[in-house]
Amino acid sequence: MGARGDGGVKKVVDRRRRYWNEPKLGLWERFYLFEVLRGLSITGGVFLRNMTRWMTGKKGALTAYYPEEVRSDYARHNRGKHVLTQRPDGRPQCIACNLCATVCPARVIEIEAGFDPDDPAHPKYPERFVIDYARCIFCGFCVEVCPEDAIRMVPTVPGLPVPDRRPGMWLGKEELLNWQPASDPAKPYPPKAKAVEPPPPGSRLVQGEER
Amino acid sequence: MPVMFINDQPVDTGEHRTVLQVALANGFYVPHFCWHPELSIVGNCRVCVVEQEGRGVGIACNMPVAEGLRIQTESEPVRAQRKAMLQFILLNHPVDCGICDKAGECTLQDYHYAYNGAPALSHEPKLHSTKFFPLSERIILDNERCILCSRCVRFTREISKSNVLGMEQRGDGMRVRPVEDRTLDDDPYSDNVIDLCPVGALLSRSFQYQARVWYLEPTASVCPGCARGCTVQLWHRRHEWRLKGLDGSHNERILRVTPLENPRVNGAWICNKGRDLGALFGRPRAGQALLKGRPVLLAEAIDAARRLVRGAGRRVALVSSWGSNEELRAFRNALADRFTSFVKADHRPGEGEVVEDDLLIRADKNPNTHAAQALFGNAPADIPDDTELVLVWGEGADFSTLPRGAKIVHLGAWLQPENGYADVFIPISIQTERHGHYTSFEGVVSAFEPCQRRPEGVIDAETLFPLLAAPPGSDT
Repeated sequence: MGARGDGGVKKVVDRRRRYWNEPKLGLWERFYLFEVLRGLSITGGVFLRNMTRWMTGKKGALTAYYPEEVRSDYARHNRGKHVLTQRPDGRPQCIACNLCATVCPARVIEIEAGFDPDDPAHPKYPERFVIDYARCIFCGFCVEVCPEDAIRMVPTVPGLPVPDRRPGMWLGKEELLNWQPASDPAKPYPPKAKAVEPPPPGSRLVQGEER
Repeated sequence: MPVMFINDQPVDTGEHRTVLQVALANGFYVPHFCWHPELSIVGNCRVCVVEQEGRGVGIACNMPVAEGLRIQTESEPVRAQRKAMLQFILLNHPVDCGICDKAGECTLQDYHYAYNGAPALSHEPKLHSTKFFPLSERIILDNERCILCSRCVRFTREISKSNVLGMEQRGDGMRVRPVEDRTLDDDPYSDNVIDLCPVGALLSRSFQYQARVWYLEPTASVCPGCARGCTVQLWHRRHEWRLKGLDGSHNERILRVTPLENPRVNGAWICNKGRDLGALFGRPRAGQALLKGRPVLLAEAIDAARRLVRGAGRRVALVSSWGSNEELRAFRNALADRFTSFVKADHRPGEGEVVEDDLLIRADKNPNTHAAQALFGNAPADIPDDTELVLVWGEGADFSTLPRGAKIVHLGAWLQPENGYADVFIPISIQTERHGHYTSFEGVVSAFEPCQRRPEGVIDAETLFPLLAAPPGSDT
């Protein structure tokens, strides 16, 4: 009862958690101004050095200007983007069989098939072919399952995070189909056009005739 | 009742006459291409071979049952023969499953994995034949994939009786072709050959390359095309395979219709009109309640209709023959005492449509006339000139024949010019958006299930009728 009679003055308890390696501030640090100036001189020095290098034509900081530039430290075996391979005439090799879309664990591939009766060797072709890079997990199953070697993955990454791509970062057939490498060491590309072999002598060819 | 033995187990043959029927009925699966329960036996595919103990291997589809017959369906010689038979069938088959619409539900594919599984033994180049032969406006034929089981030929001879298809030439050159003086376009049951085909030789043009079949799932439904009430399966995209980047309307569409086998109604068949249900249900929907063509909230339209329903004077209702049993009952319970009700024919035979035949097609082109007439009588609509209110439920009413002074409350599902003419228009759901039952002309009740999402602002007629009976201003 007597303790509460002294005007209600409460002792402020410092409840801040203490760490084992709390910095010990000396008088110089407690003076504050010199240390702030020292910090500014470090950051300003880096800034001026980078500016000078930039203005004299050397590259400044280790910054990649994404998406115009590709990061230099991607591994050679990075596979960050799909490409659709092409036949010699520029059409996609894809036959729209949907195996990649079916095997995809993230279900990001969607294909709309078209019918071309004038090309009996490839009557089914992808009218539209889209991949959502917001959900793609880059597992490469689509490449593995493709029976036509129509989809491969390349080391680059899609230049996607542009505001108008959201939501869903979809790449369409046009962007996936512009892969024109001089050569691919992994598999020969572009594939040779298959010569139509004449039927061997002695075999009959049942010719289809229309009514 | 003779008793025979299949794989050393005694089975009762029952009414069956062949070993294949007995085996299938007792749960012993025997592969078969050419045999079909509704068609005659030809025995030309030779994969249904079984071993009769002591007498060697023979085809089960044509092997008569006998007392004490001992059959092995999976013995070593049987499997060897099936494997050899599949090698033979696949001699000239293109094996283009990647682009074949049948892949996934193809019996040749299934049997190949079950009994053969080996690449071709033959080194001969495959013979080529016609791709994409136009059999009709609805069907294309890929002769390279055809295995000459002749199911389609027998269907046109024995079931649809149009006698359109036949086989020409022999051996490697043998192929299915229409006869010279007819086309498959004249056969109103032609699309059944697509389901009958055990491989991907006969293909539907409307379904071609729309989706791989494993992306789809069927919903049991009833064809509303005529009073027969055939049970059908509406195939639509599975939920887990919904398209997110491409055309979203694909997710809502009915991509194909196949018969749901039902011995009491339609057997294993439906007509071509039933195959086009996707187009029928895909028509533009009405989703906006209207008062004299002015868009209003649904609750406002219901309130306006309530006021009209409670008004004095003579009231007539034209009851839809497309309403389900549940909706018809809801109408009778809630509103029948306020209206003189007539059953209306929502649909009439279209131009060039087969009106009636002795297989399935009925002249009454509405699914539930039987149940509607049982509740509301079958008197023809006779609307006196002093009628104050006409409630038009469903399609098919000619608004110009209604009395000029009468107010019109229209319950409709489709986008039509009449909707704006009615005093009150309330959008209602369609068959694919609700549960229900139809009663066929024979009195067989068949259920249908929903497979599409009900659009915003649309109400089920079954919920609507009790609301209309409530006094104006009460909750909706």
